[in-house]
Amino acid sequence: MPRQFAYYPGCVAEFSSKELNATTKALAPLLDIELLPMPQATCCGAGDIAEAKPNLYLALNVRILSEAEEMGADILTICNVCTLNLRRANKMVKEDPRLLEQVNGELVNAGARPYQGTIDVTHLLWYLATEEGLSLLEQRGPKGLNGLRVAPYYGCQLLRPSSVMGFEDPDRPQSLERLITALGGEVADYDGKSRCCGFPIILAREQVALRESHVALAGARDAGAQAMVTPCPLCHLAMDAYQRKTEQLMGEEYAMPVLHLPQLIGLALGMPTQSMEFKRHFTPVDDVLATVGA
Amino acid sequence: MAATTFRVFRYQPDSGDLESFHQDFALEHEEKTTVLDALLRIQNEQDGTLAVRYSCRSAICGSCACKVNGKTVLACMTQVEEAKAESGSSTLQVDPIGNFAPIKDLVVDMTPFWEKFKAVKPFLIPDGPAPDKERLVPKAAMEKVAKESACILCAACYSECNSLAADPEFVGPAAFAWGYRFAADERDSQRKDRAKLYSGEHGIWDCTRCMFCNERCPKGVDPRDAIEKLGAIAFQEKVTKDKGARHAKAFLISMKTGGKLNEQLVGGFTDPVGGAFNAPLALRMLQKGKLPASPLTHKVQDRDQVTKLMKNVKETI
Repeated sequence: MPRQFAYYPGCVAEFSSKELNATTKALAPLLDIELLPMPQATCCGAGDIAEAKPNLYLALNVRILSEAEEMGADILTICNVCTLNLRRANKMVKEDPRLLEQVNGELVNAGARPYQGTIDVTHLLWYLATEEGLSLLEQRGPKGLNGLRVAPYYGCQLLRPSSVMGFEDPDRPQSLERLITALGGEVADYDGKSRCCGFPIILAREQVALRESHVALAGARDAGAQAMVTPCPLCHLAMDAYQRKTEQLMGEEYAMPVLHLPQLIGLALGMPTQSMEFKRHFTPVDDVLATVGA
Repeated sequence: MAATTFRVFRYQPDSGDLESFHQDFALEHEEKTTVLDALLRIQNEQDGTLAVRYSCRSAICGSCACKVNGKTVLACMTQVEEAKAESGSSTLQVDPIGNFAPIKDLVVDMTPFWEKFKAVKPFLIPDGPAPDKERLVPKAAMEKVAKESACILCAACYSECNSLAADPEFVGPAAFAWGYRFAADERDSQRKDRAKLYSGEHGIWDCTRCMFCNERCPKGVDPRDAIEKLGAIAFQEKVTKDKGARHAKAFLISMKTGGKLNEQLVGGFTDPVGGAFNAPLALRMLQKGKLPASPLTHKVQDRDQVTKLMKNVKETI
């Protein structure tokens, strides 16, 4: 029996970064995962709705949790920001029965199903970076990454605040490193791997954001990385789509291919490259494909 | 007894040497020893020139924040053996807090921090003449600002703020925690003015949500949450001209019109003027299929529920 998850790809993977959604869907059966669609699920608000209207943020996110609960499955995400927003709302109502009652009152008034607080929210990275997940990968007999030197890039919101996220030590994360190594890659370690990509403010404060993403891009380049891998499509947009702008602002060259996590796994498992839609990337990944023999 | 090597940041410009370096000090100490106690023993027993700032030794004054193996902590609150176990190393590297210019060894110039703190008007500004007796506040009203009232201005948040590293003029997490503490105080009369004061360039909308401040605060203040609440106050007071507030508005419009993010709207609405300079990037994104060619909204099922929630849910900030 495949493991069933209520699949919450998030807006960016569904629309702007479709290659992430497509790769995740193509990869899931290889990992014995069944992704159940969530047709009622809205945007999580990305922290923006929480910042404008906190009570509305909570009600919208609990409505999403409730849809998964009705399906009888935990939620699987592929985005740092969605993970934080959903987990935070989940924690708030699970720890405060009066708050849950209040939010459920709003949901029922709006004709939505009340939430009982029985659902967990996990990210694909967390599911795979456990012993169970790593053995799933091993069973697929990966052809491997042929020693590809990969810089793990976590970003912020899958690690912090650890009181909400809690999968691993936010100061010494190892989940991406474990996956890279298990898949036959080499880890390019560097200090910037858990610093901010700047994406949340890239439209409102572009230069500040680009100076932030520079730290990680330069760190990965200086560590000799042939590619960077990230579990978050927002980090991916900052690192990949805006990379040229960051190069122009900082007067530096990174030439850093940036892979979505499922693409790195897909390459190691020998998935057809067309199914991972690399043509949608800004920074070419040709050298990466050549190294892994894809 | 235990033994530890402390690799301490040294910078002694008065001696004529403008280069900083790290110096190792070996110390035998009791199992239960704080990093501050260890540093003071090194100062007393091995090198009297080592500069360390401290006062209360009990996590109240906020003077002794420093980085231990890269992580900002209060030296007086950090056990040497626990820090070693956490990092898996028998050496502890001690550095001054980040985002500040060093003065000498572990002592930094906190002037910008205090200037920004003053700039948020970190005091109560009530309306009208003072009452005969004290101004009574119900307990529930004070609970709204209880977390932020615990700030000891140690600058652990400021030390690792990613927005500050990229924009040294950003007001920063601690000052805004204090800003919220007074903006949300029911005795204060400056709610709207504070929302305006905090919303400018280098203000609350500069926060990049890296969450380091929440992670590092030794007092559980959660400064990022305070900045978020200041955003909600700005919305309530209709102070929403800043590009950051417009970005948040675009999410609300997306929610209202479909339920999912309308990425074309977010770009155009956030920065209608400056956005034009991004036309080449937008064009490339269009070519790569990263922007939809059509501005149609993405609609979820049972959207009437979302519409009702948007209409009914009242904000209580």
